[in-house]
Amino acid sequence: MKSRLVLSLSILASILFACTSIQAHHGNTAYDPDHPITIKGSVTEFVWSNPHCQIYLDVKDARGKIVGWSVESQSPGILRRNGWTRDSIKPGDLIAVTLVPAKSGAPVGFSGEKLGKIVFPDGHILKMDQR
Amino acid sequence: MPRRQIFLTKIMEVALLLLPLAFAIPARSAPQQKPANETSAPAPKRDLSGMWQYQGSGGAEGIAPEKTIPPMTPWAQARFNQERPGYGSRAVPDGNDPILQCDPSGFPRVLLFPLPFEFVPARGRILQFFEREHEWRSIWTDGRSLPKDADPTWFGYAIGHWEGDDTLVVKSSGFNDKTWLGATGYPHSEEMSVTERYQRIDYNTIIYNITVDDPKAYAKPIVAPERIMKLKPGAEMEELPCVWSEENSFTKRIRQPAVGKPNR
Repeated sequence: MKSRLVLSLSILASILFACTSIQAHHGNTAYDPDHPITIKGSVTEFVWSNPHCQIYLDVKDARGKIVGWSVESQSPGILRRNGWTRDSIKPGDLIAVTLVPAKSGAPVGFSGEKLGKIVFPDGHILKMDQR
Repeated sequence: MPRRQIFLTKIMEVALLLLPLAFAIPARSAPQQKPANETSAPAPKRDLSGMWQYQGSGGAEGIAPEKTIPPMTPWAQARFNQERPGYGSRAVPDGNDPILQCDPSGFPRVLLFPLPFEFVPARGRILQFFEREHEWRSIWTDGRSLPKDADPTWFGYAIGHWEGDDTLVVKSSGFNDKTWLGATGYPHSEEMSVTERYQRIDYNTIIYNITVDDPKAYAKPIVAPERIMKLKPGAEMEELPCVWSEENSFTKRIRQPAVGKPNR
């Protein structure tokens, strides 16, 4: 009976998690929506333009090597309505970016919609989930 | 087996059975409380002026779920087979979506993005501005008919009339066949005609229905699911044309590197 309870809980939790994941992101097929990650690094460039704003940052990998990451977010229109400006991110900023990474393994990702998030050292957060 | 565990097990099993009902919520179910930016004022009559935004999931949508799209004609099937969309059942990461080279999204695809549009009443017409691509079209309300042989354009030729005081019915034709019906790559021909209904059910909400009739491409009209649009009071439209140099830069710096290596 206890095993039935555990099984029921597990199934329910899995269904709820899967539904949340599906609704959280509708990125294109280049990205892996099932394995979001958070990377931390120093911004080298912030591009405020269509079609998607871009954040380029240097991230130290597990071996201490610097890897240049390229992250796309949303259009300037969507980001502005989420409180961003063209100065929200500047070169030199140290940020933590939650994104879905490229399936290819390249250091490229999409940070947007409900899942995307940028966290600064002082704790302030940039999100992009408002429509 | 303790009674508590039996009870909890039964609760979990009932929850599993009832879970599908949680996703059967009708599109129009009203929230218990209005969001802070919504007013309870009555909707003005025959007036859709203001900024509105489709509450959809993003630019990944097709005009309708693929399983509801009627059978294609051989003409449309041949076109569909050559398309490589970024979304839908045939999605590929490095496709040939025409909007990637800044071709206009056209109509109705321009409405399927989570970006606002604005209705502006003018004499004899209503102007509809789209933030997506900085585009616009006229909806003529002066009683004219659709032209019989309009030059095919990206956004077509549109006329509108009111049904009652709350529903603007828009009919359009005269489209070129260069656009997709949505992000999933379904084509349309120059014979496409579109009927839209913008029903303002309260001050803040439009219920949007669209039917695409294209006998050259589909055996029956495509009846899209109801969509909700919300008023965005105080919002300002951004200037966001599709600029080829920006699109090309994005392709080189993001799209192509994202697919540049073998899959993990």
